[in-house]
Amino acid sequence: MTTIDLPAGRSERRWPTLNRLVGVGRRSPTATVGFVIVVAFALMAIFAQYITPHDPVEAYPRNILNPPDAEFWLGTDGNGMDIFSRVIYGARYAFAIAVPAVLLSIVIGVPIGLWTGYRGGLFDEGLMRFFDALRVFPSIILALAVVAAAGPSVINVVIVIGLLDSPIFVRVVRAEVLALRSSTMVEAARAAGNPTWRILLVHLLPNAIQGAMAQTAVRAAWAVRISATLAFLGVGIQVPTPEWGVMIRQGAEYMVTGQWWVALFPGIALVVMVLGLNMLGDGLQDLLNPRRKG
Amino acid sequence: MALLSVEDLETHFVSRNLDNEVLVAHALNGVSFAVDRGQVLGLVGETGAGKSLTAQSVMGLLRPPALRVGGKALFDGTDLFELPTDTMNAMRGRDIALVVQNPRTSLDPLTRIGDQLVRIQRVHREISLADARKRAIAMLDAVGIPEPKRRMRAWPHELSGGMAQRVLIAMALINDPKLLIADEPTTGLDVTVQAQILDLLRDLVIDRDMAAIIITHDLGVVAHYCDRVVVMFAGGIVEAGPVGAVFGQPCHPYTRALLAATPERLALGSGRRFGGPPPDLYNLPKGCHYRDRCGHATELCEQTPSFVTVASDHDARCHYAASLKDQPL
Amino acid sequence: MKVRRFLLRRLIFIVPLLLGIVFFTFMLVRIGGQDPVEMLAGPTATQAHIDLIERELGLDQPLLSQFLIYIGNVFTGNLGDSWISSQPVLDDILRRAPITLELLFWGVGLGALIGIPVGLRVAGRPDSWFDQCARVVSLFGFSIPTYWLGLVMLFVFFYLLGWAPPGIGRIGLVVIPPETITGSYLIDSLLTGDWEAAHSAFSHLVLPVTCIAIISAAPIIKHTRAIALEVYRGDAVRFARASGLPRRIVRRIVMRNSTVPVMTFVGTEITGLVGTTSLIEFVFAWGGLGQYGLNAIISGDFAAVQGYVLFLALFSVIVFLIIDLTVVIIEPRSSEAT
Repeated sequence: MTTIDLPAGRSERRWPTLNRLVGVGRRSPTATVGFVIVVAFALMAIFAQYITPHDPVEAYPRNILNPPDAEFWLGTDGNGMDIFSRVIYGARYAFAIAVPAVLLSIVIGVPIGLWTGYRGGLFDEGLMRFFDALRVFPSIILALAVVAAAGPSVINVVIVIGLLDSPIFVRVVRAEVLALRSSTMVEAARAAGNPTWRILLVHLLPNAIQGAMAQTAVRAAWAVRISATLAFLGVGIQVPTPEWGVMIRQGAEYMVTGQWWVALFPGIALVVMVLGLNMLGDGLQDLLNPRRKG
Repeated sequence: MALLSVEDLETHFVSRNLDNEVLVAHALNGVSFAVDRGQVLGLVGETGAGKSLTAQSVMGLLRPPALRVGGKALFDGTDLFELPTDTMNAMRGRDIALVVQNPRTSLDPLTRIGDQLVRIQRVHREISLADARKRAIAMLDAVGIPEPKRRMRAWPHELSGGMAQRVLIAMALINDPKLLIADEPTTGLDVTVQAQILDLLRDLVIDRDMAAIIITHDLGVVAHYCDRVVVMFAGGIVEAGPVGAVFGQPCHPYTRALLAATPERLALGSGRRFGGPPPDLYNLPKGCHYRDRCGHATELCEQTPSFVTVASDHDARCHYAASLKDQPL
Repeated sequence: MKVRRFLLRRLIFIVPLLLGIVFFTFMLVRIGGQDPVEMLAGPTATQAHIDLIERELGLDQPLLSQFLIYIGNVFTGNLGDSWISSQPVLDDILRRAPITLELLFWGVGLGALIGIPVGLRVAGRPDSWFDQCARVVSLFGFSIPTYWLGLVMLFVFFYLLGWAPPGIGRIGLVVIPPETITGSYLIDSLLTGDWEAAHSAFSHLVLPVTCIAIISAAPIIKHTRAIALEVYRGDAVRFARASGLPRRIVRRIVMRNSTVPVMTFVGTEITGLVGTTSLIEFVFAWGGLGQYGLNAIISGDFAAVQGYVLFLALFSVIVFLIIDLTVVIIEPRSSEAT
C-alpha cells in the first residue's frame, strides 16, 4: 500500500480509531457536521437540569407570553413556562422515543430479514407482498390512526413507530442475505456441516448488519419527526410535557397574532436535530456502501 | 508512419481508504505500441492486465478514479491527449470507433436501432436524413443482418446478443473510421456466432484499409485474426511482435505460460500448470513484475528488465529472452 | 392488446389487496385502547344503554360475522355515519376529496417541476458545487416538519409582511365562491370568468402549495439524482460517449432513460405526500379531506377514520395503477415483461 499521508508505523497504530475518525471527517463533511449536531443534542439531553435556568414545567403566572429577554432567553409560552428550558428538555423526549423505536425495529426487522432471506419460499414471498401492500397507506396517517386507536402514550408511540419502521430493516438485511446466500463462503460453511443458526449468526449476520447500521440514523430522524407530528396533533405526548411537537402545538395559534417565539424555537430545535440525524445517516450510507460513491 | 502510436502510456487509480490514506494503483505503467493501416493488432493478457484500460485511455474515456498521468497517443501525427475535449469527442465515432463487450446494454434502449444509426451519422457529418437512412440500411446489410429495412425499426431489446453485436459493429463502421478498437467483442456469444463476428470484423477492416485493435484473452482469436500481438501483464507489455513469431518462438516466460495453458496443450499433457495471483498494483515489486510466478526467475530478475529484440520486430521484456527463444515449450 | 393483458393480470392482484385493505381498516378500531362504544355512550351511560349501542353497531356478534357485514357495507358504499358531522361518511369524503386533490396536484406538480430538472442536472456533475448545494437543500427538505413550515410561512407572509391572506379556508371570507364544476375554486372561477374569485383562490393556494412543493421536492431531487447517476454510469452512456455523441444528446439519452423510474418514484411518493397534505390542510384550515380525516382521528370519530384510511389506500392503489399503465404504454421493453 502506498500511503501518502502517513507512513504506517507503531506510533500511529496506537490511535487507529482517532485516525479513522479524522479520515471519515475529511471524506464526508456532511456526516461530521451531523455527528457533531447529534452529540450536542445528546449532551443537552443528558445535562438538561444543569444548563436550564428554569424548571421546564414551572409556570410563572405573571410572565405569560413574555418575549425573549434577559430572564427568559427564548420567552415564555401561554402558561408562563420558560421556552429555553423546555426546548433543552425536549431533546430528552426526542432521544427517549427515537432510540427505543429504532432499537425495536432492528430487533424485529433484522432476524426476520435474516430468516426470510435465507429460507426464501412462500413465507418470504408473502411477507414481501404484505410489505408492498402496506405502502398504500401514508406512514404518517397510519401511525396517527394506530396510535389514536391504541391510546396515546409514550409506549404506544414507540411501539407503533418501531413496528412501522421494521420492514425497512427486513428489506435491507434480506437483500444482503440474498446476495450472500449463494456465495462460496456460505456454501463452504454449509458443506462443512454448520447448523443453520450458526450460518445465520456467524456468517450472514456480521455482513448483513452493516447495511442495517447505515439506516439507523435516517430512521431515528424519521422517528423524531413522526413522534413530534403525533404530539403536534394532540395524539401522543400531551401538554404540558416539554416535547417539541407539543410546544409547537401550544404556539400554533400565537403564530398569527405575533407571539412567534412560542412555536418558532422548538421548531428550530426539531429541524436541527432531524437535520443532524439525516446528515449523519446520509454520510453513513455513503461510507458503508462504497458502491454509492463514484 | 503508423496510424496510431502509443508511447509510454501511464494510468493510475487514485482513491482513499477508510483511514483516509491515499492509495495509488499503477494500473498502466509505460505502455507503448503502434498499429498500421490494414493491420489487425491483438492485445492479450489475463483479467486486470490493463487491456481495456489501455483502450479507454487512448480514447479519452477514463472516469475517476482512473487518471491518465503520462504518455502520448499519436494518431495520424497528432497527440490525442493534447486535443481539446470537444475535438476529441468529435473524433470518437468518426475517426476512432469502439466496439464494446456488452452489446445489448450498450445500445440506447429507448431508440430504435435505425434511428441510432442515423443519429451517429448526423452527429459527425453533414448528411441528409434520407441518405443517412440509405447508408444505415446498407451498413446493416453489410454486417449480415437479414431484412435490414425491417430491422431498422427494431428496438435493441428485441435483438439477440449476436445481432446486437452486429448492430454495434455497424454503428462503429458507418462513419468509415480509420481505427477500430474492439474490446472483447465476442464475450458472451455462442462459439459459432463468435467466429462469424470476427470473420466479419476482419473482412471489413481489410476491405476498408482500416487499422484495428482486438482486445481479448483468447489466444485462438489472436492466432486466427491478428497480424501482430501485444501481450500485457500487470499494466505493462511483456512481449510484442508478429503473431507467427510470438506464438512460434515465445521469448517471455509469461507468454510461454499462456501458450502452454491453451486447452489443446493441456490435453496433450505437455503444458505445465501455471498460476498465482497477479501482483498487487498498489504495491508493485521492484524488478520484473512476473518474478513471483516465473519458473526461470533468478537474482538478476530483481532488476527491472528492458526490452530485448530477439528478432526483427519481435521484442520481449525478459533478461533471458534470447536464451528462451529456442527452447521448446 | 398489451394494455388489456396488463390490466387483467393486475386485477388478479388488486382483489386480494383490496380485501386486505378493508380488513386492515376493520381491525383499526378494534386493536384495543379506546372502546368506540364507551366513547359513543359517554361516561355516564348505563350498562343497558351500552348494550343497546353495541347491538346497534353489531358489536355483540362474533368478529368474523362483523367483518363480513363490514365488507358488505363497504362494497355497497355504506361507510356509516360520522358522529361529528352526522352525515354519511361517504358523502363527507366525496364532497371533500376534490378540495384535497387540488392542493396535492399543484403541490406535487410544482415539487416535481423543480425537483426533476434539478436532480437530472446535478447527476450530470456529481460532487460539483451545485450538487453539494442541492444535497444540503434536499436534506433540509427531509428535515423540516410540514406543519411547522406552514406556521412559519403564515407568520412571515401573513403576519409580518401582510402579503398572504390568513390561513383560513380556500377563498376570501367576503368572496362568493364560483359554481362547482371541477371542485377546484381556482379552475372553476377561471372557467366562469370570475376574476375576483380566481385571484382570491390563487392567493389562498400560494402558501400551502409552496409548503407541499418544498417538502416533496427534497426526495424527488435525491432519487432523480440517484436514478440519473445510475444511467450515466451505465453501458449505454459509456457507448454513447465512445461514439462521440455530443453532451446535449447524452443528456437526452439520460433523461429519457430516467423517465420511467423517476415517474414510478414520484407515483409512490404521492402516497406519502397525502399525509403531508393532510397536515398542511390542518394548519391552513383548508377544509378538505385531509383536515376532515385528521380531525376524525383526533376526536375518535371511528366511522370517519375508517372511511378516510380506506379512501387514502384506494387512492394509492389507483395512482399506482395509473403509473404502471403509463409505463406499459410508453416503455417499449415492457411488452417483453408482461
